Amino acid sequence: MLPDDAIDRINAGCKSIGDLCKQQGIEQWEIVAYQSYGHQLDIEAGKISLAAGGGEGGYGIRVVEGGRFGYAYLVDVASAGSALTQALDVARASPSIEGFVLPNAEDAPAVDGLFDQRILDLGPEDLLEQADAILSEVASLEPRAVVTGGGLGVGATASAILSSQGIESSGITTSHGIGVQVSIDAEDELTSSYEGDSGRQLLQDVPACVSNAVKWAQITRGPIEVDSAPQDAPVLMTSEGFSPLFSMVVPTALRGDRLVRNESFWSGKNNEQVLASDLSLIDDGRMAGGKSASSRDGEGVPTRRQILVDKGQLVGSFWSTRDAAQQVAEGRITNAQTTGSAVRGGHQAPPGTGCKDFTMVSSKGGHSQEALLERMGDGYIVHSVMGAHTANPTSGDFSVTTSTILRVEDGQIMGPVKQAGLSGNLAGALLEDVHLGDEVRIQGSYSSGSMHLPDVLMMQGLRINPA
Amino acid sequence: MVMSASPNDDHSSGTGRYLQQSKIQAALGHAQDLGASYAEVRLMAITDSSVALRDGKLERAIPGQEIGVTMRILADGAWGVHSTTDLQSLPGQVESTVRLAKAVASRRASKDRPVALAEVPILENEIHWKPKKDVRNTDLDTKMHHLMTLHDSASEDERIVSVTCGWHDEHLHTELITSEGMNRTWSFQRSLINATVTGRDGGDVVSYRTRHGGEGGLEVIEACDLGDLGRSAQIATLRLLKAERAPSGKIPLVADRDLTGVYIHEALGHPCEADLVAAGDSCLDGKLGLTIGNDIVTVVDDPTIRGGYGAHPIDDEGLDTREKCLIKNGVLTEYLNHRETAHHFGIAPNAGARAQDGLHHPLVRMSNTLIQGGTHNDLDELIEDISYGVYACGSRGGQVDTGRGSFQFAAQEAWLIENGELTKPLKDVSVSGLTLQILKDVDGLTRDAKLAAPGFCGKGQTVPVGDGGPIMRISEALVG
Repeated sequence: MLPDDAIDRINAGCKSIGDLCKQQGIEQWEIVAYQSYGHQLDIEAGKISLAAGGGEGGYGIRVVEGGRFGYAYLVDVASAGSALTQALDVARASPSIEGFVLPNAEDAPAVDGLFDQRILDLGPEDLLEQADAILSEVASLEPRAVVTGGGLGVGATASAILSSQGIESSGITTSHGIGVQVSIDAEDELTSSYEGDSGRQLLQDVPACVSNAVKWAQITRGPIEVDSAPQDAPVLMTSEGFSPLFSMVVPTALRGDRLVRNESFWSGKNNEQVLASDLSLIDDGRMAGGKSASSRDGEGVPTRRQILVDKGQLVGSFWSTRDAAQQVAEGRITNAQTTGSAVRGGHQAPPGTGCKDFTMVSSKGGHSQEALLERMGDGYIVHSVMGAHTANPTSGDFSVTTSTILRVEDGQIMGPVKQAGLSGNLAGALLEDVHLGDEVRIQGSYSSGSMHLPDVLMMQGLRINPA
Repeated sequence: MVMSASPNDDHSSGTGRYLQQSKIQAALGHAQDLGASYAEVRLMAITDSSVALRDGKLERAIPGQEIGVTMRILADGAWGVHSTTDLQSLPGQVESTVRLAKAVASRRASKDRPVALAEVPILENEIHWKPKKDVRNTDLDTKMHHLMTLHDSASEDERIVSVTCGWHDEHLHTELITSEGMNRTWSFQRSLINATVTGRDGGDVVSYRTRHGGEGGLEVIEACDLGDLGRSAQIATLRLLKAERAPSGKIPLVADRDLTGVYIHEALGHPCEADLVAAGDSCLDGKLGLTIGNDIVTVVDDPTIRGGYGAHPIDDEGLDTREKCLIKNGVLTEYLNHRETAHHFGIAPNAGARAQDGLHHPLVRMSNTLIQGGTHNDLDELIEDISYGVYACGSRGGQVDTGRGSFQFAAQEAWLIENGELTKPLKDVSVSGLTLQILKDVDGLTRDAKLAAPGFCGKGQTVPVGDGGPIMRISEALVG
């Protein structure tokens, strides 16, 4: 999948562009390179519909002169000269940020588990066999079930960073992902569920997400009648249902620049209680095998594990070098340093700021689903939501819809509800009386990082609006 | 190093094209020799520029050039695809891509039909939608000027704590060569400006975003009164600071042009995509020719509306684009399709294939989707007989479960309607429903249908879209 000399090639490209920067006497510069390769299969209507492969990549150039920065990207080293000129033009037109310099080189120990040779050894035929196994598993679990969408893929990315400040680092990461949309269309009722799983390491041939998709397509069939009046009620959100909302709202609220600019619902609440007193939020950029972990952040700064909220108190925030310098220079904060939280989505943009592998834990530990339902009494279980991306990260307010919702009475699951609205303020709902499940599952997210979350029971602050 | 060849290698040779026709045709011929029934190479080169302004200061400006190419091969009734930024490597991938397609085909069950493509006219030509003002010639100072106008007008109140403005323009150049002899090149531009305004009053913090853009060059931005756009966003932000939480329940809903567009995009447009219908993932399967909505509802998807953010002259399978009438007076008349699904359903291809860029294969997608106008004169007339309802404005986006036929969309702000009048401002309004029910509940439309603010649609790939319509009344919707 990956050429043997992939790293050598992007390192050579970075060096070539770096040499050009030196020749032009540029004060500070930073070159990043990404080159990805992979195979993927699409599944539609219960069969493999397409097989694809390929590779893509490019370089990003950031230059800094007198606190002014410019950025440009390119795909071909031969066009580096014109890209560099563009980056310099932008830098010269930009305002100077006093104190903004690119970070110096520091040791960054490797993070384990980001590479799996078995993935590199996989070919399209192996993926086809895995797809066969998934389709067979779905059919065996539920003869009426069809994988109406989804797919699977493997990839490898070679990346490198080289800077005028002595940062020189490169490496290869791998990924393997599977997602299935399972539908059951029978007896004039169609139910469906999408589930996915992904990681840096080779996944099982048929990961748990496959049977989960079948299960949720099954258990949401035959909706029961419930009181259609809107009601404030306890809601147990599964990790899969909670993660999209949580990732849309919470990591953004913890960005240092947004906190000091009054753009976060947690602005001005440093060292105050912002979550239930047993809850902590931790971002671990060095998590072994973490989907978003790496030894260095998007600016080449060593990553770290940091606590953002400690037993309910806001104690930390995410900073990149530039954000920190800018907010200090503009007088919004007296001191701020990078927390190794610069993130990049590729070569086409300069680094932003955000989380890596993000977790929420409780000092009270986790509870079984039975225990959570007993505590809930009457309420609902929500497994997925539509419209999580419409949640407001500035206020924490959200109003979404779910078709995978179960009614619970006296701690017992009574049956599915056809459709319901779910609304509230996530920060408010997490402020007290929150209880976590005992199984942390890894989810994708709307943020820069990955979410590591259990099921979450919120006893207050949410409104259910059955259709 | 697997990186693209410089565009200059071929592009400056006088042809204005990146693909070397003889090499590509030889590669496609090789694919046919290996058993492919169809093969194509599609290249897209994008020259773009993004600028961000934060509180009146330049945050970032990013000029960029991307090029990607995708080879799609149909062999034994199945697809193999190879995508790369390395143009020169493409001929070397023909054999493996044919093998991929055949490997997929070998797994096809006897009950499943092989993929085949509907016949289309084979054209060899170029279409370039020329902008009035080529956005590639717009310098950073000019972009900053427009962004500052937007910023200044949006920030004139002490309760506005932050204004972030963004600019994005792109010149898209596409080339398609197929084994059938199709050989087409097309280009056009898009320009977009936006702002996100954050307001704070004590512990209350809200945000509002506004956008303007469309197909075309700098003239798209110049056509907009950015001062008015910014002021409107500022006023809306301040209004949200005082807004109350929306009522919940099934009540009459009136939606402005923005929300009407998102509604029709999510509730009808996606279920009308023939690839989803063929996959068994659409509530509109089997409903062509049936009445699914009130007879005042007529919906079109039209990529030929110049200036719409979803406009494009040729689809990504090389077909001239055209208007599609999805619903005519409440009757489902047409699915959006591409060549594969047109053949699958035995219907005429209607040029609905779009790919995100040169590195993605085409899917069935919307372009500019809108409900046609009705008979009501204005908002006042639509709400005059509503005793208790909601008027919702501006879109925060939406989502649909096409199989179940359920959808959700969220408004930026709203008003309570009491006894035929707009009374209190509301926030956090979302609307959900079932496609097959709510289309029947549309019971009022104003006359003036227009495209609203530009948007982006995700379906594994992201493409720009336009949507809109008139102001719309729904007799009963689930508001949350």
